Amino acid sequence: MNTQALGVEYYLAGMRAALDDLPPGEVAEIMEDVSAHVAELSTELGENETLEQRLGSPEQYAQELRQAAGYPPRTERLPVTTKGKLITRPRAAAWGLAIATGVTLLAGAAALREPAILLVPGVLLVLSLALVHDRGATQQEIMNLPETRRIQQWLTPEEGTPAERALTYLKSLQPAWWLVRAGLLGLGAVLLAGRDILGFLVVAAIAIISVFAGPRAKVDRRWLWFSLPASALAVGLLFQVIDVTANNLAYSSRNQSYPAPMTETYENIYAYDENGKLLNNVLLYDQDGNPINAQRQYYGCGGSDPQPMIPANRYPRPKIDYENGTCYTVTPSMSAPSSTPRTSPSSSGSTPSSSVPPTSVSPSK
Amino acid sequence: MDTSQLLKGVLDMAVLAVLRKDDGYGYDVVRRLRAGGLNEVGDASVYGTLRRLYNAGMLTSYVVPSEEGPHRKYYSINETGRVRLAESRETWRSFASTLDGLLEEVAA
Repeated sequence: MNTQALGVEYYLAGMRAALDDLPPGEVAEIMEDVSAHVAELSTELGENETLEQRLGSPEQYAQELRQAAGYPPRTERLPVTTKGKLITRPRAAAWGLAIATGVTLLAGAAALREPAILLVPGVLLVLSLALVHDRGATQQEIMNLPETRRIQQWLTPEEGTPAERALTYLKSLQPAWWLVRAGLLGLGAVLLAGRDILGFLVVAAIAIISVFAGPRAKVDRRWLWFSLPASALAVGLLFQVIDVTANNLAYSSRNQSYPAPMTETYENIYAYDENGKLLNNVLLYDQDGNPINAQRQYYGCGGSDPQPMIPANRYPRPKIDYENGTCYTVTPSMSAPSSTPRTSPSSSGSTPSSSVPPTSVSPSK
Repeated sequence: MDTSQLLKGVLDMAVLAVLRKDDGYGYDVVRRLRAGGLNEVGDASVYGTLRRLYNAGMLTSYVVPSEEGPHRKYYSINETGRVRLAESRETWRSFASTLDGLLEEVAA
């Protein structure tokens, strides 16, 4: 009798599995009928007679019932007519995985600065996997969700189309990506090594496990809870490395285009002796013997200039009157230099000529 | 001739006819069909047909507790089912007489 009861349970489980793509409410109704039927039949069975002999295999029974009831063939899902629960474990787990992967991408971009941020997606992943880790390697329930089916449809375009060829090509690159991913994660671990030993250990472990996770996820979808976020982390780290490098490049190029602050703000220099007398034709050099040149270059004063080769570091520089084509030097101010020699150059600022009263202009020729 | 093919088209009618007399649960319907002469009717086909007729609104169901095993779900025909059965009977009669006529010609 006990073996018979087991046989009934086994038979009903087989049927339930063969009908599991139908709406849960409908399956419950069918099983209500069928379990009474199978239980009654099992009491009528003779010696050595099995349910299978009387009814065929559970799959055959389910197939015949489907046809008679007008259900679609297996794997095609009926539109849910009965009220189904909106939030199920598989759905919560699938969304948990998706959100955790997104968060990992963002966290990965900040992981080098603050590795502890990886705890956020980590906790989310553990919780969502805990919901479905007992639901088998194929995670059929998640694969049957409408949203996952939609994604699958996108990922399986019609054969022969460019999209299909592109996807096939990308899929062939997958093993290469697993290696690249391990490399990026390894780089992240190395960059963390000097600053955060715990972060280094965690990221290094992820890098090593990720090599195995790729192929594993092909046969056991539960590995996706590792593989997908690992990819997101690798991409996030890549973003961060690019960001840092780009910043460095921008910084160094800024330095190149702006040589020195002093020459940036002055276009002419007026030197005075201790008596407040303006010194002409002063040659300025820095500690290395290089000429100190103000930003504006000396362009010469035309063919009639008596000194066509005036060095660029000779101050004060002649001012060029472009309208008349003549060169002349300008004294910044008649009164300021003697009274306040230190402040006068700065008070005249970057445009010493503008502070000069017109009367002080004295043509050099 | 393989009667299982013929049966597919008329099983609805046969099940409705059996329930017209009296309410019944699944296995009960199977047994009554067999007792009526439809020996080849499959258990699963009858259960599937019951579900389809129920979903189409021609049957109602109620559960009767059982002491020995699982509860039995009884099906009973409603007005929609009765109307459908009457229509089916008319269709069947005219179809059968048409086919009889054809077979008479062949025999003659």
